Amino acid sequence: MQWFNLSDPINLISAIGAVVILGLTAFVSNFYINKMKTSNPKGELSGEEWDGIGKFKNNVPFGWGICFMFVMIWGFWYIFVGYPLNSFSQIGQYNQEVAAYNEKYQKKWENLSQNDLVAMGESMFLVQCSQCHGVTADGMQGKAQNLTHWGKEEGILHTIKYGSKGLGFPLGEMPPVELSEADAKAVAAYVMGEISEVKNTKYPADVAKGKEVFNTAGCTACHGEDGKGMDGSAPDLSTYGTSKFLSYVLENGKHGEIGRMPSFKFAQFNEVQIKALSAYIESLEDLN
Amino acid sequence: MFGWLERNPFFFSLAFVFVFSIAGLVEILPGFAKTARPLEGLRPYSVLETAGRQVYIEEGCYNCHSQLVRPFKAETDRYGPYSLSGEYAYDRPFLWGSKRTGPDLHRVGDNRSTDWHDYHMWDPTSVVPGSIMPAYKHLYKNNADFETAYAEAYTQKVVFAVPYDIEGGVKLGDIQMAKELFYQEAEKIVADMKNEQVKEAFQKGEIKKIVALIAYLNSLGQSRMAPKGE
Repeated sequence: MQWFNLSDPINLISAIGAVVILGLTAFVSNFYINKMKTSNPKGELSGEEWDGIGKFKNNVPFGWGICFMFVMIWGFWYIFVGYPLNSFSQIGQYNQEVAAYNEKYQKKWENLSQNDLVAMGESMFLVQCSQCHGVTADGMQGKAQNLTHWGKEEGILHTIKYGSKGLGFPLGEMPPVELSEADAKAVAAYVMGEISEVKNTKYPADVAKGKEVFNTAGCTACHGEDGKGMDGSAPDLSTYGTSKFLSYVLENGKHGEIGRMPSFKFAQFNEVQIKALSAYIESLEDLN
Repeated sequence: MFGWLERNPFFFSLAFVFVFSIAGLVEILPGFAKTARPLEGLRPYSVLETAGRQVYIEEGCYNCHSQLVRPFKAETDRYGPYSLSGEYAYDRPFLWGSKRTGPDLHRVGDNRSTDWHDYHMWDPTSVVPGSIMPAYKHLYKNNADFETAYAEAYTQKVVFAVPYDIEGGVKLGDIQMAKELFYQEAEKIVADMKNEQVKEAFQKGEIKKIVALIAYLNSLGQSRMAPKGE
């Protein structure tokens, strides 16, 4: 019988408690039943009588009266002085809760492994992003940005082919660029392998060619020769594929062809969270 | 004392009322001390948003959605910043709702966009797999009620002194002007929508209920606390 395993202290304490309560109940009821049979109360009757049942004029027991008065005084003190009616603040309680949480958060996530980041990013993604980008992050058939290729070579290919708008840079909308597929791929390789801080591309052989195309096909006119976007006139490609680019989009939102992504400033993600979200998006396999 | 009260029913009733009202007074009186005032910069609903609010009420959205983010970490993580009493100052009646079959909507304007609502109302499962929300296709067919919305906004202004027509605030004006603003505002929403039916109807001068509802949902968020147009 597992539920009656007395080596478990909780079971043992409960069993002892049950026996004690039974014993006490038996003793007390026996005491009062005997008393009812034999006792003969004395005292002054009040004189009122209801169908033969009278009422004693006994005083309140002294000790009980003292306790009662003490509790009343304490009650007044508690309500009006100790913890006045108006002093409770739900927002104060919330701030305490958040402070305690942040402290715990700091401690728990001090040294994050890449896997931890991805796991944290995934749970954030499911709560905050999946409603528009889809549970699989593929943008639900073009309803939102396909994040499985965003921040990777495929994302750059897509941008070259279809252009981009809505990030709110002074140079405005990027029109579709007419490039052969091989050239576009080379540019993507150059951006990911050389310009971006990621410094890693799937097509390392194309980087040199990509640099040439980048400089001749007109990319430099907006993004600058170093790809850094000429001091904020156009997107800084050296951040492409990193959490910096993501935090820019989260801060400003994007009003593109597909629709509007609102700014997520209201959610007040901290740096670790944005890094985690970025790590999760980077970890996604390209879905098309 | 009690013996005396027992013999005097009138005074007994008085004592009874006094004792039993203490609990109520303790609950009610502090509420008067901290009266709810509109937050600084809170703007009233535009006529289109008012029409959307009426759609929200007539469709019974409050049966499944609440509009009150409580100050708990778990709530603010999911729904956005907690609600403040002053944010409801121009809500007559407030639409807090008591159930959360669906998510809380008080910050929905912060994190959803017009085209998302468009997809969602037409076919909820197309953007939220597993959603049990019904589709609201009839909102794409029926026209928004400008007259009632204008009447409500006008009543708010005249009877309840809601600050319409102040400098930098929401304009109400006379019925002609309000209608113009109604169309201007709807135009922006329609431009962001994907539904062709609604776009076509707008060309013909009709504003569907869905447009008003989306305008209202977009207004639910922190942007309402800043002057409109920002």
